[in-house]
Amino acid sequence: MNPSLLQQAAEAAANNSWVLITPEIMLGAIALLLLALELVLPKKHHELIPSISIAAQLGLFVALLVNRPIGLETEPFNGLLRLTGLGHCLRLYFLAASLLVSLLGAVALARRKLPRIEFFALVAVVTAALMLLAQANHFVLLFVALETATIGFYILVSYFRSSPLSLEAGLKYLVMGALSSAILLFGIVLLYGVAGNPQLAGHAADPLHFGALRHFLSANPDNLLASVGIVLVLSGVAFKIGAVPFQIWVPDVYQGAPTPVTAFLAVSSKAAGFAVLLVLTQEVFSPYQGLVLPLLGVMAGATILLGNIAALTQHNVKRLMGLSGVAHAGYLLLGIIAAFDDSARQLAVGAVLFYLVAYLLASMTVFAVMTHLAGEEDAEQELGHYTELAQQRPFLAWMLAIGLGSLAGIPPLAGFIGKLAIFVAAFKAGLYPLLAIAIVGVVLSIYYYFGWIRAAFFAPWRAAPQAGEAPVARMFAPAGLPLAFVLCLLAAGTLLLGLYQGALGQWLLAW
Amino acid sequence: MTIGLHHYLALSALLFAIGFGGVLLRKNTLVLFMSLELMLIASTLGLVAFSRFNGTPDGNVFVLFILAIAAVEVAVGLAIIVALFRRRGTVMVDELNALKH
Repeated sequence: MNPSLLQQAAEAAANNSWVLITPEIMLGAIALLLLALELVLPKKHHELIPSISIAAQLGLFVALLVNRPIGLETEPFNGLLRLTGLGHCLRLYFLAASLLVSLLGAVALARRKLPRIEFFALVAVVTAALMLLAQANHFVLLFVALETATIGFYILVSYFRSSPLSLEAGLKYLVMGALSSAILLFGIVLLYGVAGNPQLAGHAADPLHFGALRHFLSANPDNLLASVGIVLVLSGVAFKIGAVPFQIWVPDVYQGAPTPVTAFLAVSSKAAGFAVLLVLTQEVFSPYQGLVLPLLGVMAGATILLGNIAALTQHNVKRLMGLSGVAHAGYLLLGIIAAFDDSARQLAVGAVLFYLVAYLLASMTVFAVMTHLAGEEDAEQELGHYTELAQQRPFLAWMLAIGLGSLAGIPPLAGFIGKLAIFVAAFKAGLYPLLAIAIVGVVLSIYYYFGWIRAAFFAPWRAAPQAGEAPVARMFAPAGLPLAFVLCLLAAGTLLLGLYQGALGQWLLAW
Repeated sequence: MTIGLHHYLALSALLFAIGFGGVLLRKNTLVLFMSLELMLIASTLGLVAFSRFNGTPDGNVFVLFILAIAAVEVAVGLAIIVALFRRRGTVMVDELNALKH
């Protein structure tokens, strides 16, 4: 081996500041610990393992919250990663989502005869991959982290392997996910090839690095091959966030996946997609604004309209959550488009973050109630199943109402402030046609969210059951203590962020 | 005739198009899966060709990552297909339509 090569390798290794990715490493260690515990612990203590997973993640969350982030604005691992305040924020976000999904998973798996431990290990690994994805600064890391997360999701979606519906959803997600990854990869290849071409101005020695690629793109503002590459990469990301026309997988996969996994897909996977989209459009592809902006604009308008209209006719609540999630992706896209305008950028990025937090609180509340009330077949949860919920379990019904109200954007709740911030940013950026579409979308969404609330609160009239006849309505079990506590926390967060944004709001809106 | 970068790229684009068409048109899940792999292989061919002709070495390294990911994807995918075949007795796409409201 050439000695200078060895020296180069040693210098490169010195740039690997492992301490900067401690949270991700800890999550990987938690996953391994859980698998090891399954081997070591006697079988009767196995029900402790989910609690251990939740406790370990909670400890990590508190540690991340208390300690100041280190190494901000550096590019460790030779530019593979770029640590920013936004990235740190998203780490906390993914960890919070992973905690909640682990709790929901414990609730859902307690009723089934299935291997349990792998679920929690997979959730930890996927969360670590999403954290790396949100901080990627290099296409190799972006692709590897994205695939690690996506392959974890394939397994999680088909986790209820005794149910053909869960397996079918897993297969559909696999085919669609692999297709989108292949499209994304081909886009990366085109960008790599064109940016490394020594005959073009500003060509890079390391064309997969975001900074080098941006430098090349600003030196060649209308290269055809680069434009094709950008469109392919954005299509691949649009698949992950479920934007029209790449939303076809959403309803089926959301319906078939176990409810905790549906929550994980809706919250974490979508947030990771938006983190990547924010970095790509605002920084890397910014010299190609003329191409990116109309593309995203058409996508956002179509996504808001189609998501809301398709959700109007749904009777299955998981499909409804999926399609309304498509509409929420549309509002978030509107925020991203607003961020292109210099005067609105800061507000828009903060609004997207605030919206994501409000969405996490509200949809986790709804998914927690759904998980608790799910019957034997997890994929079949209809609006009609919620009849008489308010009469039997007023606590659960009110939690559901707060979650759905926040998703619909009803004033005293966090979802309203999130929508308002995004709309104000869009107004500042002068996106009037899109703004009009978004407002129509919000009005449509109130109809189906309130249809659900009505199903839970106002029972349809029925003739009194004759003697000896079984009562028609389902009986609802009360929520366990941990679930009730978390529901209270989430609802309190939604109310608090709606009434008083205060320090947290300032902190979120300041990015 | 010397074989240049354009020939490799044309082959790569052709493979990608065949794979994409296969995913859209074929009905058998296993064939569909092969088409997905073909799309990944098309990308690796493009990477190696660009890497060789541009003199940027990191494309070759990226290929190794892609191969590893493709292998994992196949392992998970075949596991899901086998489990689904045991439950439903079919791997044809048009018969797998239980997820409707």
